[in-house]
Amino acid sequence: MIPLLTLALLFPLVAAMLIRLPRLPDRWALALAQGLALIELGLTVRVYQRYQPEGPALAESLPFIPFHPEADGLTVLFLLLTALITVLALLHYRILSVAGHRADDHPTRFLATVLALEAVMQGLWLTRNLLWFVVLSGLEWWLVSALLKCAPSPGKALAIRRYRQFLGVSWLLLASGTLLLGWSYAGNHGGRWSFDLADLMLARVDGRLHSLLFFLLFYGFAIRVPLFPLHGWLPVVAEQGALTVAPVFLLGLKAGVYGLLRFVLPLLPETVLSWHRYVVAFAVIGIFYSALLALLQSNLRRLLAYAVVSHSSVLIVGLFSLGQAAFQSAVMLSVNFGLAITGLFFMSDLVLRRTGTLILADLGGLFDRLRVIALAFLVAGLSIIGMPGTPGFDAVHLMLEASIVRFGGLLTIVAAIGNVAAAGFLLRAFQKAFLAPVTAEHRPDVERATPREWLLAVLMIVLLLGVGFYSEPWINLTARTLEGMSGHYPHP
Amino acid sequence: MRDFPLLSLILFLPFMGVFLVWLGRNLRWTRRLALATVAVDLLLALLLLAGFEPAQTGFQFVEEGAWIPTLNIHYRVGVDGISILFIPLSMLLFAGVILASWTAVQVLPQLYYAFLLLLLGSTLGIFLALDTLLFYLFWELTLLPLYFLISLWGIGPNRRYAAVKYVLLMLVGGVPLLFAFLLLAFHHANPAAGSVGLVFDLNELLRVPLSPSQQTSVFFLLLLGFAVKAPVVPFHTWLPVVAMEGPAAVVALVTGLKLGAYGLLRFAIPLAPVAAQTFHWLLAGLGVVGIFYGALAALSQTNLRRMLAFSSLNHVGLVILGIAAFNLQGVQGALLQLLNFTLTAGGLFLLTGLLHHRIGSTDVIHLGGVFRTMPLLTAFFFLLGLASLGIPGTSGFPAEHLLLIGALQKHTGSGLAALAGMVLGAAYFLTFYRRAFLGPVRNPVVAETLDLTRHELALMMVFSILVFLVGFAPRLVLEMIGPATEHWVGQLVPP
Repeated sequence: MIPLLTLALLFPLVAAMLIRLPRLPDRWALALAQGLALIELGLTVRVYQRYQPEGPALAESLPFIPFHPEADGLTVLFLLLTALITVLALLHYRILSVAGHRADDHPTRFLATVLALEAVMQGLWLTRNLLWFVVLSGLEWWLVSALLKCAPSPGKALAIRRYRQFLGVSWLLLASGTLLLGWSYAGNHGGRWSFDLADLMLARVDGRLHSLLFFLLFYGFAIRVPLFPLHGWLPVVAEQGALTVAPVFLLGLKAGVYGLLRFVLPLLPETVLSWHRYVVAFAVIGIFYSALLALLQSNLRRLLAYAVVSHSSVLIVGLFSLGQAAFQSAVMLSVNFGLAITGLFFMSDLVLRRTGTLILADLGGLFDRLRVIALAFLVAGLSIIGMPGTPGFDAVHLMLEASIVRFGGLLTIVAAIGNVAAAGFLLRAFQKAFLAPVTAEHRPDVERATPREWLLAVLMIVLLLGVGFYSEPWINLTARTLEGMSGHYPHP
Repeated sequence: MRDFPLLSLILFLPFMGVFLVWLGRNLRWTRRLALATVAVDLLLALLLLAGFEPAQTGFQFVEEGAWIPTLNIHYRVGVDGISILFIPLSMLLFAGVILASWTAVQVLPQLYYAFLLLLLGSTLGIFLALDTLLFYLFWELTLLPLYFLISLWGIGPNRRYAAVKYVLLMLVGGVPLLFAFLLLAFHHANPAAGSVGLVFDLNELLRVPLSPSQQTSVFFLLLLGFAVKAPVVPFHTWLPVVAMEGPAAVVALVTGLKLGAYGLLRFAIPLAPVAAQTFHWLLAGLGVVGIFYGALAALSQTNLRRMLAFSSLNHVGLVILGIAAFNLQGVQGALLQLLNFTLTAGGLFLLTGLLHHRIGSTDVIHLGGVFRTMPLLTAFFFLLGLASLGIPGTSGFPAEHLLLIGALQKHTGSGLAALAGMVLGAAYFLTFYRRAFLGPVRNPVVAETLDLTRHELALMMVFSILVFLVGFAPRLVLEMIGPATEHWVGQLVPP
């Protein structure tokens, strides 16, 4: 048997080196990167085919280093999503670089960073070892900072600083939580340290440490999600991000949610049960707070950043409803949001390329010229609010089901109305950007969508609607894995 | 014949049409393709009508398929006597909308007709769905095309505001609906089976009634959700705005197809029969308020489109009053009235659209003397108006007659109020008709316009023939809906 997981993990890394090693002309490097990203997508599809939802998790081990990639349904889903978003991101980069919007003077460095980041993300999904997770998160932090540096925008220094501060703190919290867990394990097992999830779950952690551990890990992940009121870094990064590739990797791939689901919820079930109400209270406030702020934004990218905070809060309500349907909804929401927000950022970039601005008041009247782009934007927006027929719907109604069971009707209705508030600001953004009459008199006629842009937009639409109307395989893929996790949480 | 997936074909043909219209390279072919799609679908619907057995009370032509089996959500469609006549009538109305947009829509025609067909598909889905979540899918799917139809092709200056207002209100209304469906699913679920045990199958939900206390919450949630769409009086604020800002032909669909009232008839009351009967006074009250508020507001309008929007409130009020009677006459009257309004309210708005396209306004100060240059349009307007008032000989008469008998039996006071409301209805219609269509020509544009074209004439002939046919031979329709409505009323009586 070919060690598929190892391949899927290391291939992007090799690809990154391939791009960097020979001094390739930029055009060739870009084509090569696209080809390699497609091969990686193929590899993850092979993993998906090999994985049997009813069977055990796939496991392999790497030679020389103590890294044991393991893939259950949840991992497979995130592997696929990462590979897919990388392919789309490179297509997007190609569109912009052909149009003369260089990320920086060294496209190969940029491309190699993107591919290396892909490898790191795949590693995050594949590991069952908390220490590896921390190490890889640190690498991710460094790589994303490097990507942000490539941004052409003048205000990027602030964005990089904010990103490093917030995510640095997140990493420190996570690392201390991890060390504490390992230390407590070592104390109980005669000095033998382990950070392996399976070991840690079997070990009895000192009861006095439970709350401390929970808060270290929870806050570590909550900054990444980001959960209100820890979202301060996101609007700046979204506004100044490099060609949006960096934000896409941050927001699209929801490593925070994955971490909560994979490590925190199974490790500390009693502690989670004693704190989950507070978490949900913050999340519900977050839904409305960020919806309100989103309505007040004048810049499309900042608006989208608040959209992320708003829907992350919906997601957290789902996740902390604790149960099979709850986890299922959180996973589906994160996949859906990953795809949808990626689509929204891509489409807004295509607009930016033409208008030179994303200030809502200066946009407008784009629908006539950019119909497919506008439709892709709208479909992605509708997907975020859980419109039936988009992948968001199954996720949102599962989330409502779970939340009714755990918290009763009132809170659920409040969360659902918060979702309608999200519809309000997204529709407002769509109207202002695409339908409103043109206000800037001097703006020349915008160029129609090029074939590649058309392809990107249609791909987004097909993906979203396809997953929306045929969600069965995705639900099946993770059902078994999540059943195991929800076993820790009794039906209320 | 029974194995042939006729309903799926009917349902998916418009969705295929969405892609088909893009083949039309220019306006002429695009609109022809759109009309052809609707016409073929209408033929299929007539086949359906021919194969339908009215004597059977259950759902017929049922088709089932796995959609999301893990969540117990299925593709499940079927028709019964309550829903079947809406299928061909909606298609007829859509054909009318396409004909009324024939020359009025010049920009982005492919997109316009694609959205129109998408709207037709989702409307048919609303009538056909037998799975609550499938129904919800189609219910919300109508919003996307309507949003674009209103905001891109609307005729008012604030069309974008109208589109957003409509969509947001409908999304808010969707929350209680979804919530009610989830509550129903939970109450019927087998708790041991987890989320897999949730039930969204309408038949299954109808078979096992809920306890009265559970019914109350489900009933109020459904009532709230459907009241926004219908619209019932305190939730009606979107309708005048949409009527003024949206494209007239499309507004004909919004006012003609009273989906909210249909939802009450199909879901809210059968799923929570005890609660609905407990709160019969609430329904009757909402009905009476709607009748009077709609009529009085219509009386003071100076714009034809606003007037028709408020008259739609009056109509919804009547239908709800009929439903609230919970007896055979009341319900049959309400159902007949809904079908009648599809023809008459829809037809009136189509004519209004034609008028607007010719004159550029439907405000009464720009009208007057329309009959001199447009006698045909004036005549058809009068006929459909009379039919919506329930004058004998038109399709409105049997509907109104049954509805009043039903209402007078159950809520005598409300029935009398409805009678008074009908007089008011005649007042606003005839007053407006006189000021707008009769009298001297005041606007030079009116003096130079042309009457109905051949297409439009043919369309209106079909509408009028149906109006007279039902008016003189209501038996034809009553035979179709009779057993199903009897069954509907029979289920209400608590066992």
